[in-house]
Parts: sequence; C-alpha cells; structure tokens
Amino acid sequence: MEAEARPKIIGARVQRVEDPRLLAGRGAFIDDVNLPGTLHVAFCRSDHAHARIVDIDSAEASRMPGVTAIFTAADIEGKMHPIRATSRMADYFATELPVLARDKVRYVGESVVAVVAANRYLAEDAAERVAITYEPLGHAIDPVAAAEAGSPLLHEEAGTNVIVTRTFARGDVDEVLASAPVRIGDTFRMHRKTPAAMENRGYLAEYDQGRRALTLHSTTQIPGIVRDALVEMLDLPGNRLRVVAPDVGGGFGGKGALYPEEILVCIIARQLGRPVKWLSDRLEDLMTTNQAFDEIVEAELACDEEGRILGLRAEVIGDVGAYSIYPWTAAIEPVQVVSFLPGPYRVPVYRGRVRAVATSKTPTGAYRGVGRPISTFVMERLIDMAAAKLSLDPLEMRRRNMVRAEEFPYKSASGIVWDRAGFMECLDGVATAADYKALRQIQTEARAAGRWVGIGLASYAELTGLGSRIAVAPGMPVNTGTESARIRVDSTGAVTAYFGIASQGQGLETTLAQVIAEELGVRLEDVEVIQGDSAVVAHGTGTYASRSAVLAGGAAILSARAVREKVLEAASHLLEADVGDIDTGNGRIFVKGTDRALSFRELARAVYSEIGRLPREVREGMDLEATRMYDPYFGTTTPASHLAMVEIDPETYGVTITRYVVAEDCGRIINPLIADGQVQGGVAQGIGAALMEEVVHDDAGQILTASLMDYVVPTAMEIPAMEIIHLETERPDNIGGFRGMGEGGTIGAPAALANAISDALAPLGIMINELPATPERLFRLIEAATTRNERRATRVG
Amino acid sequence: MIRVTVNGVTSEHAVEPRLLLTDFLRHHLGLTGTHVGCEQGVCGACTVILNGDSVRACLCLVVQADGGEIETVEGLGTVDNLNPLQKAFQEHHALQCGFCTPGMLMTGVDLLRKYPLATDAEIREGLSGNLCRCTGYVHVVQAIRSVVQAEKNGS
Amino acid sequence: MKPPAFEYLAATSLAQAVAALANDEAKIIAGGQSLVPMLNFRLLAPSLLVDITRIPGLDAIEEDGGGGLRIGALTRHHTLETSAMVQARFPVLSAAMKHVAHLAVRNRGTIGGSLCHADPAAELPGLALLLNAQLKTTQRTVAAADFFEGALSTALAGDEILTEIQLPALPPRTGWGFEEFARRSGDFALTAVGATVSLSDGEVAEARIVVIGADDTPLRASAAEVLLTDRSGIAAAAIAAQGQVSPNGDLHGSADYRRHLVGVLTRRALTAAWRRASGTGGEAP
Repeated sequence: MEAEARPKIIGARVQRVEDPRLLAGRGAFIDDVNLPGTLHVAFCRSDHAHARIVDIDSAEASRMPGVTAIFTAADIEGKMHPIRATSRMADYFATELPVLARDKVRYVGESVVAVVAANRYLAEDAAERVAITYEPLGHAIDPVAAAEAGSPLLHEEAGTNVIVTRTFARGDVDEVLASAPVRIGDTFRMHRKTPAAMENRGYLAEYDQGRRALTLHSTTQIPGIVRDALVEMLDLPGNRLRVVAPDVGGGFGGKGALYPEEILVCIIARQLGRPVKWLSDRLEDLMTTNQAFDEIVEAELACDEEGRILGLRAEVIGDVGAYSIYPWTAAIEPVQVVSFLPGPYRVPVYRGRVRAVATSKTPTGAYRGVGRPISTFVMERLIDMAAAKLSLDPLEMRRRNMVRAEEFPYKSASGIVWDRAGFMECLDGVATAADYKALRQIQTEARAAGRWVGIGLASYAELTGLGSRIAVAPGMPVNTGTESARIRVDSTGAVTAYFGIASQGQGLETTLAQVIAEELGVRLEDVEVIQGDSAVVAHGTGTYASRSAVLAGGAAILSARAVREKVLEAASHLLEADVGDIDTGNGRIFVKGTDRALSFRELARAVYSEIGRLPREVREGMDLEATRMYDPYFGTTTPASHLAMVEIDPETYGVTITRYVVAEDCGRIINPLIADGQVQGGVAQGIGAALMEEVVHDDAGQILTASLMDYVVPTAMEIPAMEIIHLETERPDNIGGFRGMGEGGTIGAPAALANAISDALAPLGIMINELPATPERLFRLIEAATTRNERRATRVG
Repeated sequence: MIRVTVNGVTSEHAVEPRLLLTDFLRHHLGLTGTHVGCEQGVCGACTVILNGDSVRACLCLVVQADGGEIETVEGLGTVDNLNPLQKAFQEHHALQCGFCTPGMLMTGVDLLRKYPLATDAEIREGLSGNLCRCTGYVHVVQAIRSVVQAEKNGS
Repeated sequence: MKPPAFEYLAATSLAQAVAALANDEAKIIAGGQSLVPMLNFRLLAPSLLVDITRIPGLDAIEEDGGGGLRIGALTRHHTLETSAMVQARFPVLSAAMKHVAHLAVRNRGTIGGSLCHADPAAELPGLALLLNAQLKTTQRTVAAADFFEGALSTALAGDEILTEIQLPALPPRTGWGFEEFARRSGDFALTAVGATVSLSDGEVAEARIVVIGADDTPLRASAAEVLLTDRSGIAAAAIAAQGQVSPNGDLHGSADYRRHLVGVLTRRALTAAWRRASGTGGEAP
C-alpha cells in the first residue's frame, strides 16, 4: 500500500478535542472533583479597608453544627514559611503575602478567619458567628493621596505607600517638549477592572498520610509556580507535592498568581488529614481575585508640523492595592504601562516614570493585556489628539509614525526590541477591510443628518512568547522563559504528550496535539495532551503572557522531532531501509515510494514487546519517548490594528458599536477557528473595559461592585459581530513560527473605542480620556460641553 | 421528602429546605454538568429546564421543584453522540473554557423550542441572560443560527 | 453564598398560608427570583418560608367582562409577556415584559412577587400604576396608586397576600409607548417610562405617564399628563415629568442623568403612544 504524504495539520480548522466532554457536561472543573470526606471552608473576611485586629472570638462558632476546626493567623503560625514576591528591581518594596491577616487588615475582603465544616452551608452558618473586633486605621483609598508623605501607611516597614518606582528614558524629553511646534497632552484615567472568569477560583487539597504527600487541585494558570512555592513554604520535596489544574473555567490572568486560600487549604488538609475544599463564591471573587487596569497617566506628546513624533513624556500612577502579588509583584502592570507606552511608533525621545502605590484595596495583578490596554489607550488618544490639532487624518498620522518594514529590528524608546512583524500591514489591513474612506463618507452624511457617528483606530504591538532573556515581570526570580514537553509513544502505539502549561479555555489540548500530530506524522486523534499538572514534567510554569503556543508549541516540536528520530531508527531495522528513505504520516511509517509500511502500533509492539525483532546492539537505550525544553530566548512581536465605528444616541448617550474590524499578525496560525475565538473574546473584554466595567470603591474602601449586577460585563447584546483579518507577514525567529495572540483583543479595543467615541463627539469638543465611557460619564461630559458651548455662543453672539 | 424526575429518572430525597437546586443536582445527584457561576441569578451558568421552562437553578430551592421534571445538560447528547445543538457548538467553536456552556445550551434548547429566532438580534436577546467571558458570543450566535437553519431545512 | 436555614411550608390554600404568616419571621416565597438572591447573600434570615406556588387558582388570566383582565398573582412574567389576551388588550404590558431581566427569570418570576417586592426600578409596579390596576389581596382591594409606599415597601400587612391584579379596560383609541434605558439588556432600568394616550375626536382625551427608576416608587407624572389634555404638547409634558421626579443616584447613574433620561424617554414614549393612537406616522403634538 502506498502511504499518503504527511498531511498539514498545523493551520487546519479542526474542531477542538476538549469540546465533547465540556458539551456533554462531563468536564472536570474544580467543584466537580469530589473526594470522600471532604471538608469545606468559609472565610470571615475583613469589612474594613484598613484596621487593627483587636480580638477574634470564635467560641460560639466552634460549637456550631458540623464545624471541624477554625483557623486564625495565630493557628497557622509556624506551619509554613512566609512568602513574598521578591525582585531584583531597585526601588521596590516586597510586601508579605499573608495567608490569614495577622495584626491588621489592609483591604475589604481580606481573609481573617477560616471556618472548616462538613459543607459550605454549615461553614457559612458558623462564620456568621465569629466575632472580630477591629480598630479602624486611617485608610489610603485614592492613590494620588496615598502616594503623598504623611498618608496612612499600609506597610509601615516600607516607610511609604509607593512600593515601586521606575523610569524609562531616552534623550532629553523636556528640551524636546519645550521647543516642539506641536504639543498636546492630558491626564488619562483607566478605572479598575476584575477578570471575572465565569468559574470562580477554587482549591482542593488532599494529604496522603501514608506517603506524606500533598496534592492540590487548583484553578490555577501556573501549577508549576504554585508547586515550587508550596515546596518552599511547606517543607515538602517536589516529588511529594503535586499541583493539578483540572478543567479551568477561564483565567485571563486572574488565576495566574499564588493565592492565600490555596496555601491555606494545603496547611489545613495536612493538619486534619482530610481533603479540604474552598470555592470562592462570586461575592468573594469580586472582592479578592486580583484586579487590574487602575492607572492615572499624565502624558504629553510633541510633534513637528508634519505630524512626526518628536518626543513623549508620561507620569504614571498605578493603584496596585494592598499587597504585592506572588510571583509577579505589584510592578507587573504599572511598569508595563510605561515600557509599552511608545507603542509601534518611532518615538525618538521619551521619558516614562511610574509609581506603583499601595492602597487599601484588593491587590492587583495580571489581567489580559497587562498594562498595554492602558498604554495603548493613552498613546492612541495622543495620536488622535495630535492628528486633530494638525488637521491630519488619524490613519495618515499613524502611517507617518509607525515603524516601517526596513527599520526592524527596531529598538523602542523604552528599550523593547520589535522584531519584523506586520505593523503597517495591519494598519493598512483594517483600513482596506473596513473601506476606511467609505466609512468617513458615511460618517460625514450621518453627521449632516444630526447623528453622532465616530470612527476609531488603534494600533499596538505586544511582546509575546517571552524567552529567558526577558522576564515577564521586572527582576523576578522565577524563570518564565522556558517550557518543556514530554512525548511518549506507549506500547500500544498511542501518543501521550505532557506539558507544564495549563489551559483555561485556550484549546491547548487541540493546538498542541495539532503540532505534535504534524511533526510526528500521526493523526490528531492519536495524540492525548496532558497539561496543567506539575507532576508530569520536571519544570513548567503555566499559561500566561501569551506564551503557550510559542513556548509549549516549540517544546512540542522539539520533542516530537526527537521521538520521530527514534521511530525512524527503529523502523529502519524493521523495514530494512535507510532512515533517510523513511517518512511518517497519518499514523503510519513507510518507506518512501514503496508499499512497505508499519503502523505506529506495530512499531511500538516491536520496540516494547517483540524486542527480538531489533538487532541487539540497538536495543540498549531504545525507547519511544523524549523530553525537550524550549527557550525562545527573546520574545516575539505581535502587532495588530483595530477599527471601531460607533453611533451614540444623542439623547440617552447609549453607545452602539456598528462595526468592528481587527487585523493582526500572529505569525503561523495553528488553528484559525481558535485564533478567531481568541480575538473575539479578547475584543469582548476590551469592549467591557472601554464601555462598562469598573470596580468601584467608596471613600471608606468598601467595594460597591460586589455582584455581577453591579460589576457590569458585556452580554451577547453589547458585543457586535466582528471582522478579523489574520496576516502572516513573516515567520518570527522561533522554532514554530508562532506569535502569541491570547491577549491582543483586549489591548486594542479600549483605545479604538475611546477614539471612536471621541470622534463621534468631536463636534461638541469632547475627548474621551477616562474609561470606561459609561453613559453617566458621557452625560457629564456632554452636559459640561453643552454649557461651555452655549456660553461661547452667547459671548460670540 | 421530595420527588423529582431528572433527565427522565425519578427519585426521592430528604433535603433541607434551603438546599439550592444547583447543589442538589451537583452534589446529591452527581450531575456536575450544571455549573455555579454566581448564585446571584445573573450569569446563567446554572440554567436548567424545569417543567419545560429554562430557569436559574441557583435561584430555585429544590423543595420548590418537588414533583417537577428537570432537564440538565447531561440529558442532551453524550460525549460519543452529541445532539445537534452540541454539535453546532463544537463546529462553530462556540465554547472556550466551557464553564458557561451548559447554561448556554439549556437556554438554547428553550429558545429553539419556543421562538422562531428569525434574526441574530433575537438570538442575542435570548442569550443575553447567559454571560460568557471567553467567546465574545460571536460563535455562540453562529452555532444557534446554524441549528435554526438546519431545522428549517429539515422540516 | 448559601441561604441560612429556615423552615418551609408548601401551603395548599390561602387560609393555610395566611395562618402561617402570623409568625413574624415568616416570608412568602413564590417564584423566588428576588427573594432567593437576598437569601443567598444572607441579607434576610426568615424563620419560615411560606411557598404559595402550590395554591390552586392563582395563575389564571381571565377577561373581566368589561374589556379588562383579571390576572392571578402567580402568573409568571413570561406567561404575561406571551399571553394573546394581554397582547390584545394591554400591548404596553407585553412590550414592557420583554425588558424584565432574561428569559429564565421571566419563566420563573411571578407578577405578584414583582409587585410585592416593589423594586423602584422594576417594570411591573410601574405598569400596574400606568394601567390603574386594582390589587386584590386576601383582605381587600387596593389601587396600585396606594400600594407602593417606598423602595421595597408596600401597603401589605405581614399576613396579607396579593392574589390578583385587575386591569380595567383602556379607553378606545388608546395608543401606548414604553421606553427603557438600562446599562445592559435585561438590567434594571436606569429609567423607564410607560405612557398611554387616548384620543377622542382627534384630541387627547386622556394621557397617562409612569416613570420607573427615578424615585423611591414608580411615579405617575400627573403634572405632565394634564399638559397633553390641555394641548401644551409632548415637549412640555416631558419637561414637566422631569420636574416631578426626585431620582436617587447610584453607581450606574446619577440623579441628574436619570432626570435627563426621564425627559428623553417621556417624550419618546408619548410620541409612540400618540402615533399608535392616531394610527399615523405623523408629527406628534
């Protein structure tokens, strides 16, 4: 039989292998993992923003039905080593990450007492009976005030609430600004978001008293990092501590850090010798899951008369909440705001300074896009503002300043190196796909009819798939630059691949199987991908920072190739042919141009069970598995441009998105279906960030958005259909030719919408420099503008 | 003692009055396909069909469902034999993490039974009580549209 | 977020339910769409829940013989929304029901529950007021205008159960309008306005306007209503409606913004009502 040529599986629009179980209700999410005898935890959480804990009285609670134990900070003292997110970064204060609040609480929602009971109902009954006495301390809610000397200190030992300071500079920006022909600027504000994955966080710890081994089932994006941290904290060797992420219901960064609750269930399970589960409810999720996107940016841009950028200056305050999260530190987001601010443009002279300020609020961390939704919002607004001042079309303004093909690799003003990617191609791509000129014509006609219609562009570039040369967070001690893959053909010929990354819906079981199937020459259905388990690889960190396709995909290619070499070597003896004459494809191994072939199953049987079929000298060391680590060393650049068209109801100020187009260059696409889904989902979150979502605290630090009624995420009615153009301009310099693309949608949408709404309201002289642009904010802006314009009209008249 | 019929199977149970239908299905019957996303009645992940109508299981005390007939995601197709709506979700990549999916499917079942769903706007309106954080809904709308189309062509 | 413990009684008659409600800590549960979230948040801790959904005869929609309808308190929102009788006689009610939360909530939530919960931003209390509903209880019949006393507060006694909503017929040649603005589809209204306009010989014989979500209770904008019968016009009525409300601000919208919306939505609702009443697409007065 003539074996077929190796089919292309990378790039195919294949259906996801994880879908059938998820669609049939047979997924295994954290709360679907049930172990006999499991105890359940409910927390007593701080209702103060900043207070000393004077007394905890749990006597009554401990007598409540079903209660097994109650834990306070004092009860876990000595049962773990404390942990803090360290960094080599200068001007950084590493706060401790308390498991239960000791001495004082620093935000509303901080866990103080853990009640352990037979089920969650009983645990909550008892938690209500715990009496905690607080002595309120002065709180720091407003980050600007909290940064000032004399403000109440959250961490006295730091001596300040400013826990990170960082500056990026190239050239003398003050001089450039002073002499620039055109100078524009403003203060920009993005209000705090929360990832709000549909599945809340949850943790289940089981302690095997016989093996003295602990297994933590966790809704984590970073099982390897959590395992390594727990090993240090709990004095267990790595071979007796396993962290497993089951099916996880969305992460978006919110599940990408070590959390106090997952440490605590481990301590309790070990102490009580019973499985211990804590599931966040939605109220707890909205109070305690790491939040994000809370920055104030004062920025100024200098241009010449032709719109060429001469310089950029920014002062950023990041409101990072009460603690520096592990392992990323409080710097992860605010520092990215300044390092990415120059965007995909030639900015010759730059100074960006950031201060991360601790406040009495939920800690912040990584949320889809991390800092870049803010930097892109600011830069893209500045570009539009400059274009308006120069009477240049916004598209033309971008063209004049975007890094051009011949300039790659381009070192940005903050030191980021952009490799060759389709910057201009993406911008031209959206303009062409949307027929930008025609849209402007439609807008002109709509305006003439009294309608408020606007068009907004946003371009950005992100660094994805970071290798060991570039840390995900500045100065962090954890290596995020490598991933490994272990691939094994077992004695039945089945292929199993093990990874340290962890999927929360990205479809990695499918895309990694596609990569392996193509490289190894088997069918997609022959490959089983095991991921999200710290025990299956020696080292792996997880899924975050748009890295899994590049890093795990790269490791998959390397180890699949290594396994294939072994397959070919064994086959050369079995088929009596030279290795160079043998190929694999569709699960078969064949001598090219002949009908001599073996299935993987036959080959595996020969290698493992009929070893006599192989010459004695090759038997030693013969197996059909390989582990390879991959380090892309630098990272790769993923650019995109977004175009949004909106219409605003001139009376209610409701915003409707009438058109949304994305052009992006994610390199070689593994699965177009999944790539589309990533863009659509990212844009939807960006739309939420732009128009609706805002975590609101009152002046006393109480969180007012404690339900999904009040923390408003978009429904199917608010998200439009989208047009997506995938460009593959040039393969990046990594083994798979992939560029990361999980976060991009969220990066571009806030800027595109801020520009579109500003454009719609331009006749009123309104600029959208604060997000989300809720109907309430638009109302206030329009009222003020109307009053302003009436006054002006009166003066003129 | 309550008696319920879930996916065609009738059983009797002694339950506390405060037990939510979600916890009953998940922990008493082991039907963990119905997910709990908010217990605030907002996200729709726990949507099941009770006596022919889609309802939020987190807003329903199981004692109130006494004598009732309940359909959950487990009552649709199986892993090896997905039903047309489930198949459409797979074909159109209408799920990513899959956590909201059972609720989306059960809402979809109710919508397809009761409404013509002539326009995408109607589908979007019908789905607006089910939050999804992964997909941006685009593919979910397409999946349901394809089932409407297939039913139209088939009949 | 699990409810606290309580006793439960599935009442089979009104008498049994009323007797059980003599207990101060007892609460009625029907569809539970407002109550269960509050239980899950542990904002309430009733000792007894009296389930009235198994009491027969409380979920019918019937003609009253005079062109109006009698609607049982246990009627679900979705039944009301899709009832042909309601659609024929009170299309404004059918239209407004589409704005109530989402399908799954409308499938379960009862209209009696919504009225008794008396959320100032809920649609049904406002519609009851607009349609001059009479609310029949186990003790008496109360006009909707006297029923809503404040936010989440009604004239009902602790052991009194709402059993029926009586909607008198609308005058002939009545048109309607219902306009709502919410942050998302299905959210509580930031503001909603319902209106009916009844014409006689081409003149406005009666106009009714109800404003929802802009005060502690739904409000009949009576000052605005008279401006239509005295031919001052819709624009003047919209301004008058704005003057009559005292909105509360919250994190979704300030008092000023809600007042602004009252003007916009009143004008739109009245315009739609006038057009429907006159059967023309012409300029509204």
